[in-house]
Amino acid sequence: MARTEEHVAAGLLDAGEREEMERTWRGQPGFWGWLTATDHKSVAKRYILTTFLFFLLGGLEALTLRLQLARPENGLLDPDQYNQFFTMHGTTMMFLFGVPVQLAMAIYLVPLMVGTRNISFPRLNAFGYWVYLIGGLLLYSGFALNTGPDAGWFNYVPLSGPQYSPGKRIDVWAQTVTFTEIAALVAAVELIVTILKQRAPGMSLNRLPLYVWSILVTCFVILFAMPSVALASLMLAFDRLVGTHFFNPAEGGDPLLWQHLFWFFGHPEVYIMFIPATGFVSEIIPVFARRKMFGHTALVLALVATGFMSFGLWVHHMFTTGIPQLGQSFFTAASLMIAIPNGVQVFCWIATLWAGRPRLDTPLLFVLGFIVLFTLGGITGVMVASVPFDQQAHDTHFIVAHLHYVQIGAFVFPLFGAFYYWFPKITGRMLSEALGKWNFWLFFTGVNVTFFPLHFLGLMGMTRRVYTYLPETGWGPLNLVATVGAFMIAASILVFLVNVFRSLRGGAPAGDDPWGAHTLEWGTSSPPPSYNFLHIPVVQGLYALWERTADRPVVAGMGTRRREILLTTVMDAEPDARYAHPGPSIAPLLAALAVGVTFIGGIFTPWAFVVGPLLLFPALLVWMATQDEQPGPPTPAEEPA
Amino acid sequence: MRAAAAGTALLLAGCGRELSSVNPAGPQAERISDLTWYLTATGTAVFLAVTGFLLYAVWRGRRRAESAAGPAAERTLTRWVAGSVAATVVILLATLVYNFYVGRSLADFAEPGALTVRVTGHQWWWEVQYQDPVYSRRLTTANEIHVPVGRRIRLEVQSADVIHSFWAPNLHGKLDLIPGYGGTTYFRADRPGVYHGRCAEFCGLQHAKMDFLVIADPPERFAAWYDQQLRAAAPPADSVQQKGQQVFLGKGCVMCHTIRGTPANSRVGPDLTHLASRRTLAAGSLPNTRGHLAGWVVDPQKIKPGARMPPNQLASDELHALLGYLQSLK
Amino acid sequence: MSAQRSVLDVSELPKVVFGHRSLLWWGTVGFMVIEGFTVLLMVASYFYLRLNEYEWPPGRTPDPDLLIPTLNTVLLLAVIVPMRMVDKAAKRFDRAGVVRGLLIATAMTVVVAVLRWWELLALNVRWDAHAYASAAWGVVVLHATLVLVDVFETGTLAALFLSGKAKRKHFPDASDAADYQYFLSLAWVPLYFIVYWGPRLL
Repeated sequence: MARTEEHVAAGLLDAGEREEMERTWRGQPGFWGWLTATDHKSVAKRYILTTFLFFLLGGLEALTLRLQLARPENGLLDPDQYNQFFTMHGTTMMFLFGVPVQLAMAIYLVPLMVGTRNISFPRLNAFGYWVYLIGGLLLYSGFALNTGPDAGWFNYVPLSGPQYSPGKRIDVWAQTVTFTEIAALVAAVELIVTILKQRAPGMSLNRLPLYVWSILVTCFVILFAMPSVALASLMLAFDRLVGTHFFNPAEGGDPLLWQHLFWFFGHPEVYIMFIPATGFVSEIIPVFARRKMFGHTALVLALVATGFMSFGLWVHHMFTTGIPQLGQSFFTAASLMIAIPNGVQVFCWIATLWAGRPRLDTPLLFVLGFIVLFTLGGITGVMVASVPFDQQAHDTHFIVAHLHYVQIGAFVFPLFGAFYYWFPKITGRMLSEALGKWNFWLFFTGVNVTFFPLHFLGLMGMTRRVYTYLPETGWGPLNLVATVGAFMIAASILVFLVNVFRSLRGGAPAGDDPWGAHTLEWGTSSPPPSYNFLHIPVVQGLYALWERTADRPVVAGMGTRRREILLTTVMDAEPDARYAHPGPSIAPLLAALAVGVTFIGGIFTPWAFVVGPLLLFPALLVWMATQDEQPGPPTPAEEPA
Repeated sequence: MRAAAAGTALLLAGCGRELSSVNPAGPQAERISDLTWYLTATGTAVFLAVTGFLLYAVWRGRRRAESAAGPAAERTLTRWVAGSVAATVVILLATLVYNFYVGRSLADFAEPGALTVRVTGHQWWWEVQYQDPVYSRRLTTANEIHVPVGRRIRLEVQSADVIHSFWAPNLHGKLDLIPGYGGTTYFRADRPGVYHGRCAEFCGLQHAKMDFLVIADPPERFAAWYDQQLRAAAPPADSVQQKGQQVFLGKGCVMCHTIRGTPANSRVGPDLTHLASRRTLAAGSLPNTRGHLAGWVVDPQKIKPGARMPPNQLASDELHALLGYLQSLK
Repeated sequence: MSAQRSVLDVSELPKVVFGHRSLLWWGTVGFMVIEGFTVLLMVASYFYLRLNEYEWPPGRTPDPDLLIPTLNTVLLLAVIVPMRMVDKAAKRFDRAGVVRGLLIATAMTVVVAVLRWWELLALNVRWDAHAYASAAWGVVVLHATLVLVDVFETGTLAALFLSGKAKRKHFPDASDAADYQYFLSLAWVPLYFIVYWGPRLL
């Protein structure tokens, strides 16, 4: 996009400086380059692909479960296998797909959307991915070796304790959680810092895009929720490994302590997946309704309120444990009240669609499907928030129906909308609209065929986590319907995969901005260059690309010989400092391997907690000692102290 | 269309077992069932309204030449959104109030002097003890709870191993059995019948096959059943049953089972004193017939893989005698 | 297509900044939040388990000793002094001052880490005796891992500045290490009271 006359304007980069930028920001070549990459886009792309792979594995596990349940007294899976399959399905979907995919999308999108060149801590970011990958490989290695966890993704004690689950199965689960939780916490810190300190000049907080707000809120939720499950899984690991008694009632321990710690994490966990999904929706609707979003401030407040309130609901997973009625009432009230900010969002979205001129392209179809499915799931949520009703519905397939409507409807559907919306930006190619519509309609129908019958099965007494049932129960026909629906969903995913492969091989070129969108990432090429923007844009309004003036102001005066990013102030995004970022490095991988040794070894011996850190020490030394790539002479910041 | 599916499904629920949350046989379940219908009706109305608004919004928007912007549009939209939020708040508050009312009436069901039944959950069966105030009239049985119709029952629950959950949907919501804790609730059966129950908290390999029955009888019938259960086991009536008793006492059975009136008094497994009076075997997994009993005794692992009962090698005449004896334990 | 472009010139901005103007400061604060909240949850678990017992410590377990834990707490608070010197020296770009403070602080923190083992023994019970023991060990061991992180951080920074390889941009790192030290030392005070005095008061 060379416009030679513009280069004459003072401060803009000339051709030589552009080449310098390319060199400075380029990764290292070949396989070594892949191992050492610190560009947020490289890390994010492999992160997204890995999470999607786990999504497919989790889906295959689900299909197997549904095949087993398709008829009474089926013999496809024995009880032990069934328990492993449903545990793997839940653990995969929640820990290896649900949260990581949202963070991976944010790692790709947020730096672009706020107008900076890389995420705040590039090597920490790479470290987070490697740790996540190790966690996923650990879980599936365990599964393949018949040492996969089998006590549910929620892993209640004492069933998962040393007495009733001998062997290493549960320890595999506990350490998988440790890895994924480290990865999530690391991503949360670096996203918050990127959003607060690296925004393009002019992007004051009131001009922050709604998706970025959703990620900011989500990352704060992660900071406070993840430690709870980390602590719980460490306590469990120590109960099993060295004989502590946190959860052993015979020695003063308490099985409910596990439930409190787990659900204090577990409830915000589902909002960690849901809040960014609402961010996707808030980006897609203005672009496809071709109108600015109605109620921006209300939407921001709704996001913040949802984040806060998500911490006040966790006991609603424990309504049948015998907590006193006052406690029950409080958590019912809180669980009902969170429907209010959610409602605010839905109503503002519908208002924008009404006032705009919607075009029914695939991203918007997924958003519409989301609103329908989320409303249904939210309503069953209000139902199960009611304690007396929950005392009948808890631990039945009614809950399975509810959770899948909200998880698939409110999280996966916006995610697919986001895939169709941002695929052109990430790859430079358009996805097929025809296949996209098939994808959507198969998926939407499949979800309803699979999960709507489960409401009735729950009311008819079908409990959860059962490997089979007797014919006299009468549950057979509805189960068969649900299994058929599951295969419809599988077919829709296949359509999606076909769409992606065909598009990668020869889809229509996307150009910078195929959708006429307004956020900053659409103001650079598709895919973006390694440095994201040749010149950091100056933001002039909430809808950056729709509201910029004809002269399209940019930042000048940044260095091209080192990886320089611009730091701005937290509230008003005024330029504050020029910061040097590190280049590619092998240290994150080394450090992740050391962490891997620590926690995987910790499954077998407590000495791993001594040996592992000793291995981490040299890795961290390499990390701290690794110098930035500096092709030119040292700049003043590099001068010896 | 959805209503037809709902109706059919609910009709299906009526067939076969009575395991249903919306087919109450007692006041607790009935209050919950009423709440269920209220929530379903309100929920359906809200769903239809929101979906209706959404579809209308898209339809209307697609008819525009230009987006509706500017102060007048903003005012209209603000009114509609604010009104929807207000309606949401009202509906939620009403639900909350109704919930308080139902919750309180469920909790208020306690009564001193109720018939007390203590249920202990094991992997994967239910130990049932009647806590009669007269100690000599205390009764232990397994997997089947008889109650008199119309009388309040106090249910005390505890666990011997992992977390289980006691759930008889026709009678009441579920209550978890948590090791280290004791739980208490009250219920009443208002009509005679056989009410199925299940374990409702994942408890390991045979969580799927840990059912129980609550059988509500008219008070005289219940009293007769209770007195019969209190009696020690009937002595063997003929030589086959005699041999059967010897097989029972000589093989591993005595390691886990009690038959009152014989030397067998282990509490590891279910009490078999009146085994033949029960409708099902193996915590509701099998009907209590000779054939099923034979299959269970010889190889429990085939029916409930992972169950704590080992297979038993028996010669065919030993098995024949044992079955004759066990089936005499009415 | 306008040929006129506006630019915002940032070439005069500083390249080395301290405190909330620097990225690493925010990262440090983020990790303090995570670690602090984890410790808070551990303390909450300690109190939750207390509800299950009539006596605390239960059974015949004696109350924890006070001598070494109190000494170590005072020592841990005292490390704030050299780290404050490091903080001020770093903001002046005074290499010698930074080195001096870091060396003293590292030495003191190493002693704290070693004495932490005796603080665990002062609990007078093994971690696997009962839930009280597990919870008390849990609080102390959790904080101990943070102490070890601190030793590593101050030690490697001291080595970096001693070796002469430190650059201007590393001075804010030293200042961040001081902030982390304040957090580590001050956070221990309520934990010390809960674990070592709590059994006498609860």
